[in-house]
Amino acid sequence: MSGAITRRTVLAGGTASLLAAPWVARADANTLRIGMQSILSGPIALLGTSSRNALMMEQDRINAAGGFLGRPIEFIFRDSKGQPQEAARVARELVNSSGCELLVNAEASSGAFAIQEVMRDLGSVVCIHTNSETSSLTADPKLRAATAFRVARQGVHDAVAGSTYLADYAKAKKLNKWATCSPDYAYGRDTTAQYLQFLKQFNPDIEVVSDAWPKLGQPDFTEVITKLLQAKPQALLTLLYAGDLSAFVNQGNIYALFSQMTVAAPNVDYPVMAAIKNLPAGIHSATRYLETFPDTPANKEWGQAYLKRWNERPTTWSWQNTVAMQFYEAAIKKANTLEAKALSAALTGLKINSAFGADGTITMRDDHTTINYAIGWGQTTPKEPFLVDIRPVDWGKIVEIEMEWKKQLKYI
Amino acid sequence: MRSSRALRDVAIAAIALIVVLAIPLLHRSPAFEDFIIRLSAMALFATSLNLLVGNTGMVSFGHGMFYGLGAYAFALTMQMTELSLPVAAALAILITTAAAFCVGAICVRLGTDYFAFITLAMQMLFYSIIISWQTLTGGDQGLRGGIPRREIFGFELASQLHLYQFCAIVAVLGLLALRHVSASPFGQTLRMIRDNENRASFLGIVLWRARLGAFTIAGAFAGLGGVLAALFVSGAYPELADWPNSGQAIFAVMLGGINSFLGPVLGAMILLALNDVVTRFTEYQGLVLGIVILAFALGLRRGVLDFLKFAFPGRSR
Amino acid sequence: MDLGALGACFTTPACVVTQATSGLIVGMLLFLVAGGLALIFGVLKIVNFAHGTFYMLGGYVTYTVLNATDSYTLAVLSGVLAMALFGVLFERVLISRVYGSNVLMQLLICYAVVLIFDDLVKIVWGPEFHAMGMPAAFQVPPLFIAGGVVPPFYAVLIGIAALIAIVLGLGLATTRFGKTVRAAAINPQMVSALGVNTTLLFAIVFAIGGGLAGLAGALAAPVRSLSPGMGFSILIESFIVTVIGGMGSIAGALVSALLIGMVRGFGTIGFPKFTDGLIYIVMIAILLLRPQGLFGRRS
Repeated sequence: MSGAITRRTVLAGGTASLLAAPWVARADANTLRIGMQSILSGPIALLGTSSRNALMMEQDRINAAGGFLGRPIEFIFRDSKGQPQEAARVARELVNSSGCELLVNAEASSGAFAIQEVMRDLGSVVCIHTNSETSSLTADPKLRAATAFRVARQGVHDAVAGSTYLADYAKAKKLNKWATCSPDYAYGRDTTAQYLQFLKQFNPDIEVVSDAWPKLGQPDFTEVITKLLQAKPQALLTLLYAGDLSAFVNQGNIYALFSQMTVAAPNVDYPVMAAIKNLPAGIHSATRYLETFPDTPANKEWGQAYLKRWNERPTTWSWQNTVAMQFYEAAIKKANTLEAKALSAALTGLKINSAFGADGTITMRDDHTTINYAIGWGQTTPKEPFLVDIRPVDWGKIVEIEMEWKKQLKYI
Repeated sequence: MRSSRALRDVAIAAIALIVVLAIPLLHRSPAFEDFIIRLSAMALFATSLNLLVGNTGMVSFGHGMFYGLGAYAFALTMQMTELSLPVAAALAILITTAAAFCVGAICVRLGTDYFAFITLAMQMLFYSIIISWQTLTGGDQGLRGGIPRREIFGFELASQLHLYQFCAIVAVLGLLALRHVSASPFGQTLRMIRDNENRASFLGIVLWRARLGAFTIAGAFAGLGGVLAALFVSGAYPELADWPNSGQAIFAVMLGGINSFLGPVLGAMILLALNDVVTRFTEYQGLVLGIVILAFALGLRRGVLDFLKFAFPGRSR
Repeated sequence: MDLGALGACFTTPACVVTQATSGLIVGMLLFLVAGGLALIFGVLKIVNFAHGTFYMLGGYVTYTVLNATDSYTLAVLSGVLAMALFGVLFERVLISRVYGSNVLMQLLICYAVVLIFDDLVKIVWGPEFHAMGMPAAFQVPPLFIAGGVVPPFYAVLIGIAALIAIVLGLGLATTRFGKTVRAAAINPQMVSALGVNTTLLFAIVFAIGGGLAGLAGALAAPVRSLSPGMGFSILIESFIVTVIGGMGSIAGALVSALLIGMVRGFGTIGFPKFTDGLIYIVMIAILLLRPQGLFGRRS
């Protein structure tokens, strides 16, 4: 009897110390640890993996140039699997236990909001959100956090840019009957609503004859495709992306959907273009990342370097994370410290040179979000460079309309 | 006899609470504190589920519905009204209890096999309502902006230490209450129904009433767990009410031991600790977790505490 | 909610035919995918929660073989055979150990398998999605049958699904093998005592069930995306089909799959943002009115 208790106690003690091990923080004073968390598994794993790839390249570049404040940087990568409570836990663990002094949050929107609350509570490290496109993260003053910034494209910017291009195209080709097909979740609903609002503002002749809302990750789009076809629209706007867009294209093809209407799909990333074997030509899309836009040597060089190293092409998430590091680099040099308040002050309003800027620069505004990144719209072709006839957007107009939209939502 | 067991339960609870509260005084480890906070929520969730699964033989695949409802009701009340935290928490639990009563009234009529499916369907319906009702719940983005006014009886819950202490106290008290239910004559009735419902029925027990009672109580405590979960993330997210989360509770129960009161707590501990540890070392957590679960399931064939009771039979509980 | 559009559709013959046709297609695809689960559940009373994994692996194997050999037929065959084999291994190595245990233990094991293979697929094929693309033979314009649009590829799939329904349904009900298998599920000891090798029997059923799931994955691969974790949504929809149809009934699974197809086909017009909520309401309603499902037997 007593023997059993001893065995049990030993087992319990051993297990406890084994489990206790991760909670005792490890220290390595000189290396500057930067925490990065994202979705590295599941259907949108591409978001996380392409972000991570870009950050690895930045780590090498920055360390070769001496690191931050003379210290080499090291990324700690974590997968939150897209679960907000796991995202919150991971953010706290990176800061509190893994000794990270800076954060790059490459989560999608719901994870970003969860981490925003962690940042609000902690207040001790700076965090740059990448990849999250939902405007309210920084536009809504109630949601903004003092030490959290966003380096990413924004839904409302893309909506204005896209609507301007599409409204013009619709006017030229007299495409007045539109349909929409977007994933049924906040990003899909809100961004589609924004597109439609601005489309009708720029071209009042446009009317929406049908809308379809497949679920994110829905395998079978058949009933959605036939519903759209029936309404006989002249043009379709779809915000589907990644695997969903690929499935939709493949399923649409067997219904000959693409020959019956003009299709605008803003989210055609390189990997989507490469993966879809029968990609129809003439789909209107935005430059998520394109090696040939901006048409500068710096951009091309980076795109080629990425391709060479990872054997796949960069995504929009890749450049966003790269720019995040460029902002950290510039701000840390300016503030000469990692202390949260000072670094945040340095980041606010900061303008940097970047190969991904519309005119070679990108600015971090006072409301903690970036503007002036390159956005262009063009049409797809099955071969390199995959998107042609690209027209750049007018950032002055974007900012002006964004201001009106913010007033409308009482953010300012 | 009964009072000595009750006394022993209270003593164990008190000792556990003292130990847990003492640890931060000796060594601060934020990861450990986050672990205990999340464990508090999940322990209540899993143990309340076991009131149904282990005690009454009612397999519910939809228990996460009440966990999520507790979280959302609490977070929404805090964000939309000026009520203080204890009042909002009590209201959230009241709402969850009422919901459990209504859902239970619909579901307990069904035989055990179909009970699992209809509870799952109810949960999936609830989840799709959360996702669709974007104006109220924020849809898939959850309730954003944080939970304001996080103070209760001098605890400042925005501070990790205070949240740790608060969650530990709530969890221990909640588990003690569940233990009281489980050990009471009502709990014994439930186990009798689990073992032989015909015999129970012949003894004059109204089956559906007992089952409804168990379902309602289980839902209430799951809601309490949800309140703690909401405090941890300072908001509420639909993942809390999604069926994989129900699955997590079932796995906690199975891993820890379906026939032991503390089994679900141990199972929750194992799952959370595995998650926290494995994510630090590899991105292939599924692979590691799957192998560990197979080892447990095939090796032990039953939950850990059940296995220990089986391998080292000693005191009868 | 757009009841006006729904009403307009019901009063327009073209709309009714088109959406009914797509409902038929969606339903038959659902049945094709759910068939393996319905079989194993119907015969062995085991809920194969790893069903989605069979589907996923079937798709990936097909994709790989097609890329290597350029023959879709060969690729599909490989997918089916690989999953049949996997089904046997799964049953022999894992499931057979927990036949007597609590059903939740079986669930736990299936969950572990899902976790393991989602990561293995990630390791072998990478985390990004893959698209197989339509084999050249099917890159043809859609057909117009009775006013409805039917792509030839789907016509073939519907044919295969219907064939499976007939073979499985009749096979289980009328052939000696079918009757033996059903008897063995109810009382394995008796059947074994009568000289039947029940071990082999159960393995065969898992082989067929797994093979069916693999076939579904192989046939769906040209139009869907392959990614680790794709089995998840398939599992849920197969589960719903099987529960509504009634455990143990192939005919029930077929009818419920078509019912769900129709709900989706017309639900997307009337309730575009709440279509899956609609399906859950249907499921609850049926479970309340007829807990054993449409064609299930009261146990």
